[in-house]
Amino acid sequence: MGAFFALGLFQGAVYGLLAVGIVLVYKAKRVFNFAQGEFGGVAAFCAFGLTVALGLPYWVGVVGGLAAAVAMGLVVERVVVRPLESSSRTIMLVALVGVALFAVAVTVLAAEPVPRVMPPIVEGGTVDILGAGILPQQLILLAVLAVLAAAMAWFFKTDLGLAVLASSQDLRAAQVVGISPTAVSRLVWGLAALLGGIAGLLYAPVGIFTPGFMTFTMLVPAFAAAVLGGMTSLPGAFIGGLAIGVVQNLGIYLLGQQLAVPGAAELGVFALLMLVLLIRPQGLFGKAV
Amino acid sequence: MKRTGRHLLKADGLGLRFGGLQVLDELSLTVPEGRIVGLIGPNGAGKTSCFNCLTGIYRPQRGRVSFDGRDVSRLPTHRRARLGMTRTWQNLGVIDSLTVTENVMLAQHQRAGYGALAGILGMAGTWHRERELRRDAAEILDYFGLADVAGERVAELPYGTRKTCDMAMALASDPKLLLLDEPASGLSPEEALGLADTLRELRDRLRLTILMIEHHVPLVAEVCDYVYVLNFGRLLTEGGPEEIQRHPDVIAAYLGDGHATA
Amino acid sequence: MTTATLVLTRVRIRGRLGLVLRVVLVLAALALVAYPLFYGGDVWAQRISRAAIYAVIGLSINTLTGHAGQISLGHQAFVGIGAFSAAFMASQLAAPLGFGLAAAALAGTVTALLVGMVALRVTGLYLTLVTLAFGLTAETTIFNWREFTGGGAGAFAPRPALVETDFAYAVLCLGVLALVLYVDWRLVSTKTGRALAAVRNNEDIAATLGVNVTGYKLGAFCFSGLVAGLAGGLFAYWNQVVQALDFEFQVALVWVLMTVVGGLRSRLGVIIASSFFALLPLTLPNFLSGLPWQPPFLNEAVYHVLPPFIVVVMLLLVLRFFPGGIGQLLAPVTRRGGPKGAKR
Repeated sequence: MGAFFALGLFQGAVYGLLAVGIVLVYKAKRVFNFAQGEFGGVAAFCAFGLTVALGLPYWVGVVGGLAAAVAMGLVVERVVVRPLESSSRTIMLVALVGVALFAVAVTVLAAEPVPRVMPPIVEGGTVDILGAGILPQQLILLAVLAVLAAAMAWFFKTDLGLAVLASSQDLRAAQVVGISPTAVSRLVWGLAALLGGIAGLLYAPVGIFTPGFMTFTMLVPAFAAAVLGGMTSLPGAFIGGLAIGVVQNLGIYLLGQQLAVPGAAELGVFALLMLVLLIRPQGLFGKAV
Repeated sequence: MKRTGRHLLKADGLGLRFGGLQVLDELSLTVPEGRIVGLIGPNGAGKTSCFNCLTGIYRPQRGRVSFDGRDVSRLPTHRRARLGMTRTWQNLGVIDSLTVTENVMLAQHQRAGYGALAGILGMAGTWHRERELRRDAAEILDYFGLADVAGERVAELPYGTRKTCDMAMALASDPKLLLLDEPASGLSPEEALGLADTLRELRDRLRLTILMIEHHVPLVAEVCDYVYVLNFGRLLTEGGPEEIQRHPDVIAAYLGDGHATA
Repeated sequence: MTTATLVLTRVRIRGRLGLVLRVVLVLAALALVAYPLFYGGDVWAQRISRAAIYAVIGLSINTLTGHAGQISLGHQAFVGIGAFSAAFMASQLAAPLGFGLAAAALAGTVTALLVGMVALRVTGLYLTLVTLAFGLTAETTIFNWREFTGGGAGAFAPRPALVETDFAYAVLCLGVLALVLYVDWRLVSTKTGRALAAVRNNEDIAATLGVNVTGYKLGAFCFSGLVAGLAGGLFAYWNQVVQALDFEFQVALVWVLMTVVGGLRSRLGVIIASSFFALLPLTLPNFLSGLPWQPPFLNEAVYHVLPPFIVVVMLLLVLRFFPGGIGQLLAPVTRRGGPKGAKR
């Protein structure tokens, strides 16, 4: 059971990383970003193409992957988000679902939909933590999550971060600070895409990856993590991610292994999401209205 | 028949806090039946928050609200509305995607007289009731001079017309109490005076009770029987309109201390 | 382009000409269905059934997203639960078709009620997240529950004698579609439609007008679940076998996008778009293999991704240039004109 706990904690790190990006967009735009996972998916595929397929050095793959993610973020901002600024949030959400589906479809068309293996940043055997074998890659993932969550929390204390927050409430407020709403919007989506890209690059080497892996398996737990953390709290997203990872793996242990219920991981996430909305809809760190 | 002195609405010690911000503090006010009461104060004094507490959109942490002789503090917004509490909005409460007629019929929601399911299934009585509602709506639109635009979508109408439609909706809901949030904003001085006549007519002929937030001082002086002044979420003072206009605290709050000494 | 759109939305064909145009449009649509139904043989009867089932699904999503402004990304789960319920009734209990369809509708409603009671109490679009998580859970847990779904082989739903032929079954599907259309029409033209319009525009305004916001959202979701379940039941008897594979979660995303492409709150638009996406996977391989030049990258996997790819491209174009979808393009004809016509 301890092993499942440890596995969950490290699995949760990637949810937390995605959740931080989701929270960033939600704080600034009040919209659930369904494209967050695919930023990572696109980054992973570009990095794989550069390093494994073309045989370039690893750092080229990392830079290329992140650049692709950021470029995608900026294109999404310009082509989808900004033209729909005045539409309802329902339409915006549908459009972002469309973006995710589009990215998955393009990856399938561009690359064969077969499982791939991405080499990790650090080679080496697993480390034993509470009886679970943890890859060095996963240790890096958890550390990066902690650093990025702290960095984002700090960012929202700076003038620039406050301007981003202000833009969600009132366009004029951002203009008073001297930053155009357009620049704020670009910044938010660029940053969110960068975070998503990092998540994708760090997670791809943990297992095998297929087109759409970030959206189809990572995105829902990441959203659950963001909701658990209160949707607007960065520390909440961090802790929520780890908690979801742990709950999911305990679900696998208790429901899956002990009771032989199929799909225990998904069931665990769904049950937790329902429980949070039922008992504490503002999340662990959100403010009650 | 007119029972004066009975309180239609009573708020007692309302306290509302958002995080560290005290929005309303120990706010008490009463609105007697058949009167027009004003609620004034500088921007950010908590007037609209007060309306939100009265209608149940915000749940204040402290205090209670009673309406028409019953404690409504725990009732959700739509239940309070059904008791006869109607409000208008600073940014208008019209629904853009509906026509003027449909907006007025929407305001008649609570007295449609048939269940949602019966309507969906097209049960016999509902067709007849819909026709009646449509006729009632047409009458109200006639009264407000909106008959010409009855079939137009609200989104396509100029601001003044939308505002009139908002007022028509407020009346169509068959209220006991009207909560008006800045009814004169966006109106010209002449239109504001016309509004004063309308409000008095509503009070005298339809026996409506009105609580209104307003910045336009001449209008407040003209129609209000009693005025509450709010500043920083607290009650600054209360009294008749003439009294209030002369009150030094009110002048200071409106002009700011800097202006008072300059 | 924007100006062109603007002109298009403002054009109203009034009076008698408008009426004639609408009648012609409806007759043309009926002819478009009737011709292949009577002369196209079993193949086309099957296709028309499938298109009608998809249209029912599109209208189910339209109720939730178009009328109530909420999104479900797990609708394939509701359709799937309906399908498996109908198959369970048919194969395990040997119940008649009517009971099977009723069970499907009931299963969809109850599921929506349970999910919605939790997710719709909270303001915002949390239903989107909850339904997405539910869809995944349904796919991995409920649809893998062997006693209910028959495992990998699937559950069987043999058609009763009355609707055994593909022609009879197509008529049944079209009948259900007509019923759903009638209800949607009644919904829009009674107090429910007005209340839902208020709810999706501004929940606070709706509440101060006496509308029970949570109640209406939940009602809309339950009705959407009912119709989705019913569509699932129809699907079960159409295919005569139901497999978990038919209800992968990506399908739900395509359905939502397809409904928006058709045009929220436009009945005709939703039907056109739904039919198109119902027939696309059936006709696309034939169409592509009939091309004079075969692109080298075409294979089975690509056929699988092409419909989502096409729907997304259409969605992005639609949102950019005519946000009302196909329904907006049809609006000059379908909208009742004239100053007296108080409808939209």
